[in-house]
Amino acid sequence: MSTAVQSQDPHPAVEPSYLVSKRGLMSWLVTVDHKRLGLMYLASVMFFFLIAGILAIALRTELFTPDQDFMSAQTYNQVFTLHGAIMVFLFIIPSVPAALGNFFLPLMLGAKDVAFPRLNLLSFYVYSVAAVFLIVAILTSGLDTGWTFYTPYSTSTGTAVITATAGVFIAGFSSILTGLNFVVTVHKMRAPGMNWNRMPLFVWAIYSTAVIQVLATPVLAITLLLLIIERSLGIGIFDPAMGGDPVLFQHFFWFYSHPAVYIMILPGFGIISEIITVHSRKHIFGYKAIALSSVAIAVISFVVWGHHLFVSGQSELAGVLFSFLTFAVGVPTAIKVFSWVATLYGGSIQYNTACWYGMAFLWTFTVGGLTGLPLSTLAIDVHLHDTYFVVAHFHYVMVGGTVVAFIGGLHHWWPKMTGRMFNETAGKWGCLLVFIGFNVTFMTQFFLGHQGMPRRYYAYLPEYQVMHQVSTIGSYILAVGLLWTLIYLMHSLWKGEKAPSNPWGAVTLEWQTQSPPIEHNFHETPHIHGSPYDFPEIDKSAGALHH
Amino acid sequence: MSNEHAHAPAHDDDEHNPHLAHHFDTMGQQTASAKLGMWLFLATEILMFSGLFLAYFILRMLYPEMVLEAHEHLSKWAGGINTVVLLTSSYTMALGVRSIQLGDVKKLRLMLVLTILCGCIFMVVKYFEYSAKFEHGMLPGKFYSAHLHGYEIDGLPHIFFGVYFLMTGLHGVHVVIGLAIMLWMFVRAGRGEFGAKNYVAIENTGLYWHLVDLVWIFLFPLLYLVK
Amino acid sequence: MAKVFLNGQPVEHPHEVHEHISPMSTYNGVIGALFVLTGLTFAVSFADLGPASLTVAMVVAFIKATLVVAYFMHLKYDDKFHLFVFLGTIIFVGIFFGFTMFDMKSRDALNDEQETFVRWKEQENAGKGLVVGVDNVPERRAKVLAEIEAHGGGHGGGEHGGGHGGGEHKAEAKAEHKAAAH
Ligand code: HEM
Ligand SMILES: [Cu+2]
Repeated sequence: MSTAVQSQDPHPAVEPSYLVSKRGLMSWLVTVDHKRLGLMYLASVMFFFLIAGILAIALRTELFTPDQDFMSAQTYNQVFTLHGAIMVFLFIIPSVPAALGNFFLPLMLGAKDVAFPRLNLLSFYVYSVAAVFLIVAILTSGLDTGWTFYTPYSTSTGTAVITATAGVFIAGFSSILTGLNFVVTVHKMRAPGMNWNRMPLFVWAIYSTAVIQVLATPVLAITLLLLIIERSLGIGIFDPAMGGDPVLFQHFFWFYSHPAVYIMILPGFGIISEIITVHSRKHIFGYKAIALSSVAIAVISFVVWGHHLFVSGQSELAGVLFSFLTFAVGVPTAIKVFSWVATLYGGSIQYNTACWYGMAFLWTFTVGGLTGLPLSTLAIDVHLHDTYFVVAHFHYVMVGGTVVAFIGGLHHWWPKMTGRMFNETAGKWGCLLVFIGFNVTFMTQFFLGHQGMPRRYYAYLPEYQVMHQVSTIGSYILAVGLLWTLIYLMHSLWKGEKAPSNPWGAVTLEWQTQSPPIEHNFHETPHIHGSPYDFPEIDKSAGALHH
Repeated sequence: MSNEHAHAPAHDDDEHNPHLAHHFDTMGQQTASAKLGMWLFLATEILMFSGLFLAYFILRMLYPEMVLEAHEHLSKWAGGINTVVLLTSSYTMALGVRSIQLGDVKKLRLMLVLTILCGCIFMVVKYFEYSAKFEHGMLPGKFYSAHLHGYEIDGLPHIFFGVYFLMTGLHGVHVVIGLAIMLWMFVRAGRGEFGAKNYVAIENTGLYWHLVDLVWIFLFPLLYLVK
Repeated sequence: MAKVFLNGQPVEHPHEVHEHISPMSTYNGVIGALFVLTGLTFAVSFADLGPASLTVAMVVAFIKATLVVAYFMHLKYDDKFHLFVFLGTIIFVGIFFGFTMFDMKSRDALNDEQETFVRWKEQENAGKGLVVGVDNVPERRAKVLAEIEAHGGGHGGGEHGGGHGGGEHKAEAKAEHKAAAH
């Protein structure tokens, strides 16, 4: 194998794993070990995924009938806002980078830690403070602006906008610190021989994500600061009643938030690249194309934000320009999808749970990405904007894309993180339920939206009832699938088989140390001599040291 | 570079350098990381301030006459003096970095004191400026009441003063943070933590302080001077 | 094998930190230039340059900023990647400003007019195409508003939204608009 590691056998039992090398609660609370911090993030984001998921089920249940059931219009507004805000800012943005990225970036680079371990710890606590702010907002008067905080409604509603935006503002700093840390880590902490062409694609994806985090999030910070000031002092930048321009708020917000959707999906791309190639035992097709398309996406994502303003009163010229540029994002995205499919072609695919998630992703993300195209078509968006079509689109990319990739990655790396194997059969059932539940829930919503069902309504016309009911039932299936997944994963922690150091026969560096890794990751600094995807059975010349 | 168990032959004495954190292999790597991290941080600062500058330009575009009229009420002299003070502080800071590059801790501490002094003068001038604005009711947004104090400015001057206070206020916050950091560096320098081969913290402090200066270089003409 | 690596590459002399130390004369020269330039903008602000004053002030500010960045912040001698980060940031600020300003500037020219004028006019001019934002906008708007008033506010809605194949007319109108401005 090409990633020939000079250290020979990982000596199990010589050194305790990072999980037990230090003991006691304090050793976790003040840890600067990227692996422990990754786990702490993982637990936190999962907690918020659960909370926001419960809110989602409540929303779907309310929509089972056309009339009001158990939520008033006002409550419904609050619930979908909190669902969106928590999902976006406390779950999906930190999910892959802060949890899996933290854990595996240094390992995959052959480093002992990220460049700034203490900053990493700080970032975690900043995130926690942000979470407290959002929770306080929920517990006081709630929030009913939608996750986008559009003015002038956000400057006039009576809910806890300031507390909530302050929370998001703080979460932004956590995101910036993580991004900054990762960029420096990738530049400065690579192990000997790990040049840019030998970096695993997950690292490339996390790197591109980190660049966006650094470049876009400060604008979110200033936007929310301006919003807070607008609301408290009425300075008249965004609030038309004071002489401001509400569309300007949307420019500010989407300058961050469109790139932010790529903060959400790019790490997912990275996971899929790893999963597809490892579980099809085939060298990734188009390594350079995938790596560089991540960077291309990161850059292009900054010039398309106006597609969220097509019907907001943005100038038509700007609309045309943004529509054109938005199509350009499709190109690097399609390059990735084609490369993954080409990798699978002719591979010796191991149909295990992680691979199932990888394949589920190929379908769901492709549907999500393709439906972005009608939305970016200026004229068609006039009809589709603010309908369930948009809801379906972004759930296909965010849930079908990022969340599916995240769960897939969790399965792929679970043995490494926890040192335990989960039950494959249980895993496949979980994946099947998630896949079916997800598609039933959201495929329906494309049709609903296309027929004119507007988003963010608690009640609707009776002709939409059948589809809404199908969608609600789908969401229950999805919920069952996710809970099932949680159960067997937890079960594996106690009852699972002990994981070998490299259960999938992967070549990237994280598999070259023991499972779970030791505190300093490697017994000896690894030296890299080749591609991370030259599997021994297809590249006989790459001497397989570990087999 | 290796862990406690394996011992590679030591090619350099970095391994015994007390300033080297465990996860870095060399001082060079550590320093380069710190500097790259700082430049990325500066990038985020620039982008954050850019939002306020954009708000300012939009304001000029929407209400050109009002901006011209309202900005006459800012004191060019106060702004001018502060510009000179801040530029001087940048100069002393740069000299501070140079001193420590040459290993002169004493001179570094002197330069830090001078820089801190300039920063304080800046804040004092700011204080007088702000109190004058407060007295005249030239306050942001809802609190604007200059017309009650006999100042008639056509249009929507509350927006201009909102932007003025936001921009200078956020900048002022950065100045204060900078002062705190320099004080901390002064203490650390006194403890002998820096030397000709180990001064990246000073260098990064300098970078931060120069950025604060950079922002002001644009704030000053835009708010105080431009017609 | 070299023991020490940076950026995945072996480093020959890891403990030699190569830092450029500028002579005092550089610092003195720079601060001198900064003072002079400050004086210049200050003095110019008393002269009545009209709209040019923004350009002048910005050019001077850019020169000052360049001096600070190049010499005080050592970017001239530093790792070129830091320069790349810095300039890259400026480019993204440019994107932010550029697109937002572009929208804000082109908004009144086309959109505003169309909202009040085009849709309404369309019925009347059926087949003749649209005339958009040609000249004297405020007067025209007043007229349109009066007409709308007279028709009992019947313009709204998108009933006749589709197919006003007006692309070329818009372009024409824009050209005319420009001509009128000269
Ligand atoms: C393949 C490229 C994509 C294209 C061309 C695209 C295009 C669009 C367009 C035009 C809209 C605006 C629809 C409207 O409001 O009328 C939109 C909305 C949205 N997209 Fe995408 N998109 C793409 C990928 C993604 C990805 C990868 C994500 C997230 C992971 C995402 C998340 C969203 C979200 C959250 C919204 C709705 C925002 C809101 O109004 O609440 N999109 N997309
Ligand atoms: Cu978008």
